[in-house]
Amino acid sequence: MLKLFISLLGLFLFFLINLINAAEVKNFYLNATYVNVNLDGKYERQAIGCNDTYPWPTLEANKGDRIQLWLTNGLNDTNTTLHFHGIWQNHTNQMDGGDMISNCPIPPGGTFIYNFTLEQSGLYWYHSHTAGQFADGFRAPFVIHDKNTTSGEDEFPYEYDEEVILTISDWYHQDNVELTKDFLDLYNPTGAEPIPESLLINEGMNLTWKVEPNKTYLVRLVNTGAFVSQIFFIEDHQLEVVEVDGVYVEKNITDHIYVTSAQRYSFLLHTKNSTDKNFAIMQLCDQDMLDVPGNLNTNETSYLIYNEDADLPTEAYIYDWEDFLDDYYLSPLSGSELLEDPDYQIVVEVTMNNLNDGKNYAFFNNLTYVAPKVPTLMTLLSAGELATDAAIYGSNTNTFVLQHNEVIELVLNNADAGKHPFHMHGHHFQLVQRGPDYTDETDPVPYDEENADEFRDVPLSRDTVFVRPNSYIVLRFKADNPGVWIFHCHIEWHMIQGLSLILVEAPLQVQKDEGQQLTENHISICEAAGVLPSGNAAANTEDFFDLTNENVQVKDLPSGFTGRGIVALVFSCIAGILGIIVLGIYGLLPINEKKVIEDFGVESIELDETSSNDVQPNTKSSTSL
Amino acid sequence: MANNVFAVEVFFIVFREALEAVIVISVLLAFLKQGLGKATDDPKVYKKLVRQVWFGAVLGVFICLVLGGAFIGAFYSLDKDIWSNSEDLWEGIFCLIATVVISIMGIPMLRINKMQEKWRLKLAQALVAKPKSKKTFFNINYNLKKYAMFILPFITTLREGLEAVVFVGGVGLDYPAKAFPLPVIIGLIAGIAVGVVLYYSGKTSSLQIFLVISTAILYLIAAGLFSRGVWFLEANVFNRKTGGDAAESGSGPGSYDITKVVWHVNCCNPLIDNGWDIFNALFGWQNTATYGSVISYNVYWLVLICILLLMLFEEKKGHLPFCKNLTLAKLNPMYYIKGKKQNLSEAEKEEIFQKANLQVKQMEVESLENSSKPVQLK
Repeated sequence: MLKLFISLLGLFLFFLINLINAAEVKNFYLNATYVNVNLDGKYERQAIGCNDTYPWPTLEANKGDRIQLWLTNGLNDTNTTLHFHGIWQNHTNQMDGGDMISNCPIPPGGTFIYNFTLEQSGLYWYHSHTAGQFADGFRAPFVIHDKNTTSGEDEFPYEYDEEVILTISDWYHQDNVELTKDFLDLYNPTGAEPIPESLLINEGMNLTWKVEPNKTYLVRLVNTGAFVSQIFFIEDHQLEVVEVDGVYVEKNITDHIYVTSAQRYSFLLHTKNSTDKNFAIMQLCDQDMLDVPGNLNTNETSYLIYNEDADLPTEAYIYDWEDFLDDYYLSPLSGSELLEDPDYQIVVEVTMNNLNDGKNYAFFNNLTYVAPKVPTLMTLLSAGELATDAAIYGSNTNTFVLQHNEVIELVLNNADAGKHPFHMHGHHFQLVQRGPDYTDETDPVPYDEENADEFRDVPLSRDTVFVRPNSYIVLRFKADNPGVWIFHCHIEWHMIQGLSLILVEAPLQVQKDEGQQLTENHISICEAAGVLPSGNAAANTEDFFDLTNENVQVKDLPSGFTGRGIVALVFSCIAGILGIIVLGIYGLLPINEKKVIEDFGVESIELDETSSNDVQPNTKSSTSL
Repeated sequence: MANNVFAVEVFFIVFREALEAVIVISVLLAFLKQGLGKATDDPKVYKKLVRQVWFGAVLGVFICLVLGGAFIGAFYSLDKDIWSNSEDLWEGIFCLIATVVISIMGIPMLRINKMQEKWRLKLAQALVAKPKSKKTFFNINYNLKKYAMFILPFITTLREGLEAVVFVGGVGLDYPAKAFPLPVIIGLIAGIAVGVVLYYSGKTSSLQIFLVISTAILYLIAAGLFSRGVWFLEANVFNRKTGGDAAESGSGPGSYDITKVVWHVNCCNPLIDNGWDIFNALFGWQNTATYGSVISYNVYWLVLICILLLMLFEEKKGHLPFCKNLTLAKLNPMYYIKGKKQNLSEAEKEEIFQKANLQVKQMEVESLENSSKPVQLK
């Protein structure tokens, strides 16, 4: 134990030294472990921490560095994986960390070596890509600096004095396993997402940020939450947005930023000259996303402190919920022009619906993603020529095969009345179109190519973008990153509901690529996890088109009258008709005077008989009414 | 709520009670016409008596309208929040109450044409049974008759009216206040119309058919209500588990418990879609049928058929099958409570009957002869 501790300490020091020297290779040793935390000061719970502490460390590296990260699964009861959000993983698809997509799940006790080179810079983050684990705290920022490796100078395009990283997120008091059990349940038929208990900032509450006057801060802001989008603003301060999802953009000054799960915004904050007053840093939850009432305080206040002797600021308000930066109109600094007309267009429709188990699922084109038995990348690598046929990847995985270097247009029509932040692995896509909010329309409005708005010449690129309710987005990217990439909603609950599709990009190029072959470590992890690292979606290694016993979604709800429905209805009708017939027979019986008297409990005055003897006949017929 | 403007059950109850009241009035009027109101009789007295009948009837109706209005008004001014958060539970319970009410009053309604007999007998009894003093017999008798012609219709309409109010209250608990006026008015009109037709035509066979049809509708409603009641109770359980979440999702998937469903169509939701609420009120239609709702519907009919067959048998043979001394009435505990009394007063009863019979004779003879001579008692 001590030995292990010393070696870990040594490794940790090594990692520190690496950091200081801006070396070529960065080594990280992370062990996912359960720790008890009380992040919101309301409730102590078990979270997934790192090396028995919490939170996970912010990883920092330079563009061009190689990352070597040993992830040990120290969780005794569950598998895990690690995904580096926004990192392209060009030539290193198997390091992307998608559970059953490009990565075999790491079983308890297993160690996976993530090894890849950084070609990008900006703010990214890393998190577990297994189940809802990042909601349990398995998440942290990943900053890639633009430091020139030879000169040592920072090549960040804008001037700033100091850099600050802010994470905003949501936090539950139950762990993802319990939440998922109640969420994906017969008794949650509308798929109402669990309501978080708190909004966090830097994995805590009510942050106090001491600033100096007259300085420019580069604030790197990331939403590492599993569910809600947040509006972020600083009272009486303007935010100069300079980077979005690792893409430098032309300066854009705004008051409020809307950050969905997994989105990043870096902005410059110029502090004021005077120090007499402190200001509120606000996080507002997008309440439209909350389907059911909960305990969430939707407005959280943190403190921008100029003067520690002055009063703490009080909560600040916004007056127009729609008044936030629209990222559609941001322009990338690179000036990358709109990709030419697409070679291949994928059109998908997002819906939410219930299947025959009464649970609510999410669908792309009526298919909810069900993970295959073999990670899709392993299927690709073992399929040879057949890898170009989407069928081998399973009938329930929404797999699209893309040709190398083609321009792909992904049209996503959101037939659901909620906002969804969609994230694509392996790419920054261009946001070509985004429709307005059609909440008030009775029917969702799909993308109409003929009557589309004019495209921007230099559209924004990013890796996570939201689509508005009942509306659409159109994305373009170049299929220049051979590999298997998942495109999914980054709301963890929706991903659990199956809102994912798979892009198999240039499969033959993947096979040919020396660097894309499975590492020995990866194969051993697959074996330890009991996952076959070859074969089709049904783990059939002989006949790739034989998908017998593949994982498929639950059957559709029976539509209308099924056999038993018809039988029930017919029986009910027969019962009713028979009842009416018997009623008729009884009702039409001739009236029996004696019975009437008994029926009504009238004391039998033998009116007619007695009177007929003594009285004249005409009075007897007093019944003729 | 199923039908917000026209509560079908309310209509049938008001109709039945109105018809019954009209029959009572018509019987009384016939009495007057034939017993007291002969052309040879004093037309002034006759007119006066007829006026009394009408006055009593109208006053009775008026009082029960006031009471009924107050009753329903008070009911709806109560804070309805008590059941707004468990609406399905209350709706289920109200449906079951309404089923019981309708089921109990349904079969007697089938025999509503027997009511003429019943009321003729009852009225005759009321008319003649009272006088006991021999001394001032004639005057009292005359005054009593005068009095009776007011009190009988008054009591009758009041009684029928209050019965209607109670029944309407029972079946209409889950309706909004605005669902009452229309069926009440139409029920009154229809009841009076049928009563009038009955009075003038004197034909009971066509009436019988009419009654059979309306009773059949009534039982269709009751079966539907029973099924609905069970359905609502099940929905309540489901909504409790989902946190009331399912109600918002309309008729689509997720609005029902898939594990209990027999059929489901994504339309025709009686709670939402117009038109289907009528099917719901008449036949208990639900776009989502559960095992509970389907089985309860069939069981209801099965039980009703059994009861009707037993009654049919008894009507023909005078007793229940396999038990020679048993009739349906004897299965009712009330029979023994009432019967005991009757047994005790058997001797007295005989005497009262004798007196009553004579009284009828006397009345008739009196009116025939137009004489004021008192008849000797035996």
